[in-house]
Amino acid sequence: MIQKISAPVSVETIYDHRKRTVTPRRIFWDGQIFRIAQVGLHHTFREGRTLFHIFSVTAQNLSFRLRLDTDSLFWTLEEISDGLTN
Amino acid sequence: MGLPIRPARLGGLDFNSAPSTVMHVDLNSCFATIEQQANPLLRGKPIAVTAYDSPNGCILAPSVQAKELGIKVGMRVKDGRLLCPGLIVLSSDPDKYRAVHLGLKKILSIYTPDLAPKSIDEFVLNFAGTPAFTRGLFTIGQEIKNRIKEKVGDYLTVSIGLGPNRFLAKTASNLHKPDGLDEINKDNFLRIYESLILTDLTGIARQNAIRLNSAGIYTVLDFFNADLRTLRAAFHSISDYYWFVRLRGWEVDDVDWGVKSFSHSYALPKFLTKPEELAPILTKLVEKLGFRMRREGFQAKGVHLGLLFRDHEFWHQGLRLDQPLFLSQDIYRVAYRLLSHSPYHLPVRNLAVSCFDLSGRDCLQLGLFEDKIKKESLVSAIDNINDRWGNFVITPAMMANTGNAIQDRISFGR
Repeated sequence: MIQKISAPVSVETIYDHRKRTVTPRRIFWDGQIFRIAQVGLHHTFREGRTLFHIFSVTAQNLSFRLRLDTDSLFWTLEEISDGLTN
Repeated sequence: MGLPIRPARLGGLDFNSAPSTVMHVDLNSCFATIEQQANPLLRGKPIAVTAYDSPNGCILAPSVQAKELGIKVGMRVKDGRLLCPGLIVLSSDPDKYRAVHLGLKKILSIYTPDLAPKSIDEFVLNFAGTPAFTRGLFTIGQEIKNRIKEKVGDYLTVSIGLGPNRFLAKTASNLHKPDGLDEINKDNFLRIYESLILTDLTGIARQNAIRLNSAGIYTVLDFFNADLRTLRAAFHSISDYYWFVRLRGWEVDDVDWGVKSFSHSYALPKFLTKPEELAPILTKLVEKLGFRMRREGFQAKGVHLGLLFRDHEFWHQGLRLDQPLFLSQDIYRVAYRLLSHSPYHLPVRNLAVSCFDLSGRDCLQLGLFEDKIKKESLVSAIDNINDRWGNFVITPAMMANTGNAIQDRISFGR
């Protein structure tokens, strides 16, 4: 089941200067800490000229869609899914 | 390129004996696989990407697992759920698919400069005269598969077809799905043709198959062996020649048709009957269409409107004008006039508008009765604001209350 959330969220990331990658490591949301096991896909899009990064990640048998607004550098949790039918 | 057509009495055109230089790359179950790539919890499960996730929504892409259960492209969500009660239905996410498209394009462009995206999930690469060709296309095909897994996504698989022309490369890519790598060439084409049915060929759907049947052609081998006169009896057009050449491995599809029209359509979630009810949706369609057309530097002398009604009746009409249009409001006026001309007053399920007879906007024909320069300055200012802040920051009042109707769909050209 997919649940639309659209709520601010805290995300810890790691920047690896040798691989030139940024990877989200932990999500702090709803009083819980979720350690990210896998980044399924990272993609970007623009709304007007504002660039957004989307990280689709999994943690603790849940899938999270995280959005980073590169204007404000704020993170938003857009949706959660448990991979089951809706 | 001169084609070696021999007189029919000598047996006609031979199969192209040149080595395969064309590669067709097709991302398997594109949208569904990308969703499974993004969300590993969906992998190995039957999922369907849809235009709308409502029961009447249309399935755009079933996953490989859903296809195995009989779910097909074009099926309604409710029918899909009847076949597979555990079907996971997802709304399409065009930005995600475009990002993967660009990722694939970046990898493929390393191998040859002659690269043509045919759709969001298909690419044609021509290796003729490139250094990569000397390494062998099977080696390169396998390398492309590995690189896609490494750089774009480990769950993504592509089917690759090789052939002496685009058509055979595409046909080869369909032979083993998913994750195939096949070639059709002078040595194996007869064996492969024998294993295919007419509708396996791209471009031969039910109607064309009926045409061919009427000319006594029932198999792909019959099709290959038919002479031009027999094919003419089936197609009654230049298509007979194209098929004759295509099936023999010669290139007729490497044609850039250019931009001929711009169009937008919308499947209405709630059927509407009166023109005034359809007007806000029509305004939004025209705004999107006008913005895209102006951004590409075009104006149009023709406007076309198509209506698909609830009972599957279809009505359409086009109008050619004296002067080219570029302003969305002007296009809307013509489209609304066409809408008012519809003789049917039935509930509309699909509304489509397009502009044709395009020309470049490099010169502006001034008019005696209106200030076209002022009009153009205004529209460019509005377009710049919408471009900076996102589409539809400034919109006509008519579009109020259309909300999220007509969301971004699966275009890949932007």
